[in-house]
Amino acid sequence: MSIIYVLIPIAILFVLIGIAIFFWAVRSKQFDDLDKEGFSILFNEKAKTPPAGNDASHEAGTSREP
Amino acid sequence: MLQQRCFHCHEPVPAAVDFHYDVLGQSQVFCCAGCQAVAETIVAQGLTDYYKFRSKAAAKANAVPEELKAQLHSYDSADVLQDLSQSVGDAQRIELSVSGMSCAACAWLIERQLQQNPAVQRVSVNSGTARCELIWYPQQAPLSQILGAVSQLGYQASPFVADQEEQHFQQELNAYLKRLAVSGIMTMQVMMLAFGLYFGEFSGIEAQYEGYLRWVSLLLTLPVMAYSALPFSSSAWRALKARELNMDVPITLALYYTFAASLYATVFDTGEVYFESVCMFVFLLQLGKFFEFRARKQARDATSNLLKVMPVSATLWDGSQGSPTSARRLKSGDHILVKAGEIIPADGVVQSGISSADESMLTGEYKAVAKQPGDAVLAGSINHDGILVVQVRSALTESRLGQIIALQQQTLHQKPALLEKTDRIARFFVQRLLIIATLTFSAWYFWIDPDRAFWVTLSVLVATCPCALSLATPTAITCALAQLNRQGILIKNQQVLDVLPQLSKIFFDKTGTLTQGRFSLSEVRVYHNALGKTELLALMAALEQQSEHPIARAFAPYYQQAVAAEQVSLTVGAGLSGVYQQQQVRLGSAAFCGLVPTDPRVADAQVCLSIAGELAATVQLSDQLRAEVPALMQRLQALRLKLAILTGDASAAAAAVATQLHISELWQGCSPEQKVSAISQAVKAGEKVLMVGDGINDSPCFHAAHVSVALDSGTELSKNQADVVLLHNNLQQLETLIAGARRAKRVVRQNLWWAALYNLVIIPLAVCGFVSPYVAVIGMSCSSLLVVSNSLRLLKA
Repeated sequence: MSIIYVLIPIAILFVLIGIAIFFWAVRSKQFDDLDKEGFSILFNEKAKTPPAGNDASHEAGTSREP
Repeated sequence: MLQQRCFHCHEPVPAAVDFHYDVLGQSQVFCCAGCQAVAETIVAQGLTDYYKFRSKAAAKANAVPEELKAQLHSYDSADVLQDLSQSVGDAQRIELSVSGMSCAACAWLIERQLQQNPAVQRVSVNSGTARCELIWYPQQAPLSQILGAVSQLGYQASPFVADQEEQHFQQELNAYLKRLAVSGIMTMQVMMLAFGLYFGEFSGIEAQYEGYLRWVSLLLTLPVMAYSALPFSSSAWRALKARELNMDVPITLALYYTFAASLYATVFDTGEVYFESVCMFVFLLQLGKFFEFRARKQARDATSNLLKVMPVSATLWDGSQGSPTSARRLKSGDHILVKAGEIIPADGVVQSGISSADESMLTGEYKAVAKQPGDAVLAGSINHDGILVVQVRSALTESRLGQIIALQQQTLHQKPALLEKTDRIARFFVQRLLIIATLTFSAWYFWIDPDRAFWVTLSVLVATCPCALSLATPTAITCALAQLNRQGILIKNQQVLDVLPQLSKIFFDKTGTLTQGRFSLSEVRVYHNALGKTELLALMAALEQQSEHPIARAFAPYYQQAVAAEQVSLTVGAGLSGVYQQQQVRLGSAAFCGLVPTDPRVADAQVCLSIAGELAATVQLSDQLRAEVPALMQRLQALRLKLAILTGDASAAAAAVATQLHISELWQGCSPEQKVSAISQAVKAGEKVLMVGDGINDSPCFHAAHVSVALDSGTELSKNQADVVLLHNNLQQLETLIAGARRAKRVVRQNLWWAALYNLVIIPLAVCGFVSPYVAVIGMSCSSLLVVSNSLRLLKA
């Protein structure tokens, strides 16, 4: 049973990472418009937009990860 | 035959038109050139995914008139840009308000379209609030080009300046989200550990593991207490400093007491711990508050386009040519040029030109006012048909519009104060609870059993934990808000539901609220032998198509493609003429039609039609009552509410409306100041007052009344300032609102009764030491659950 002395602290570490990611998401305005983010996965990312394309694919990429 | 619908906007395609275009490999039909042009743009940009994934049809895309395109250029002037945007390095940041958005796919479409422009650095469209944040390089592309790109897709974007309050709301909402996340995630962890402890209780657990789990729970509860529960403790602290008691005081008390007891138990390895209850309580309270706050924020955002009413740009006139400038920079004595359809940017006097202006937003008068040299014009009114050169008399802030907005800022603090009922209950409850707890502690400590004194007192406090009481009102209000929202009633101020059940008097604005706020045909008399009423009306509609005048809109429903007039020409301020079946037709005043104005047939008609010099028809126009109003007034009177009309209209029309609706109290010819004082009088007389209005001139008195209601068709300013906005433009919803508030009140009362009853039973038992803290927690949770599920019933109503 003494394994819990190790496992629980590891679990807490994960919890802290989770909270940190959530705070980051709130700060980067990902919760401002939930409808649009839900849609973004449907649209295919044709790299037809050279100047702003980097920015856009970056945004869409992060919203797909979770 | 199956009616064809436009591929873009899903509106029926008129029979005689033929617009085709290939989208997604199929030929599609469109209802108008505007929709087809938008579809062409979408296909050309490779954005057809929009059509695949959109969840709602687009708004009908009207072709952008050339004047509007010219108006966009006024945003390019450096003065205007400086007022509207902020510099971010080389780039400028601006917020745009976008109209015509129907679903999230629209947001995607606009973002994509703008990202293709190399001058755009960053663009983010919010589909919920219909706002767009744009960062771009003005040196590479002027703002008008970007706004033009948006209008090619059938949306109208205009610069917008968010007010301070809105930014504050957004920060607050983010803070709520973070607190909710911390308390939610921590509750899960602590609950998991608590299960370990529960099972340990039954099957035995080694003391070292029990101590370890308790310490970990303590550690995980700390952020909840220190961060998530902060709003409660700071609000309680503020109340105590002001020598008041609010609902947050017992909440904080219970939280800290339970936490302190669990801390004590953990450190000294004795008694019970309640960390999971602490976390869960904080989480549930935060959840309720979060939903309520978000609903209010959405309601606010949806209606706050305050700065849109303030004219943004103006055209300075130096005698031969115009140069764009910011309306805020106009000084007294400047000459400005106002084109047809533009908003007049400053108070002033007409120097040259003939036109008519719509001042309904400012005065409540729906008839257009004729303007000729020497007449005064008001900032914020709309110039209808002619071009005017105006000498500015006062700067925008000192204009009538500026004064009304200032008046409304003053009245902001006049909102009649209402003591929140829950606070009164809290005061009563906390006082008694503290006395009982103190008595219990001393009784056990001095006379019965000093060892158990602490734990018995704890069970008294936990069992009576104000959960049920504190959840009773907010849960019911949140559910009622959500329910009314779904029916198209936006509520921005939660006090509304508190006051409405006690409502005693309703003030109505007339123009645009009780009436439709626009002309419609009330009587048509035909004097022509060959043509019938339908043909004549269609002919008039065909002529009026060429006019921007509000009277012209009254004829639009009678338009038929088959009846077309040729060589139509417009004489500003008089009427229209044209050729129909090789005969000269004239539509307008009697004099314009070449008739004798004293002819009894035309004496009382507003519009006459002559064919080949002979009178063909006369038309009477009036601003008619909304269809639902007469029946609604009767039902409101049956609810024993006093009704009154408060209007800026000084004509006999106001009295006629009052008699027709059997409303005896009529205030007419009121300035915004007089409206405010009329309402303040009623408030002083002890009435609970509701005000329904739609114009800029109504917005100051919105703050004087207990509750204010605006219709969605009203001006942006009135919607921004009102407590409630009726989205379906139907006054009937007023009744729904009152009924909803009454239902919410009933549920709150049931909840409070239940909470009181529960406490009456549990307190004596707890004081006598029969309730172990475990049982107390179960009792508390059950009563909270009951209250929450009772409130949830409101959602189904």
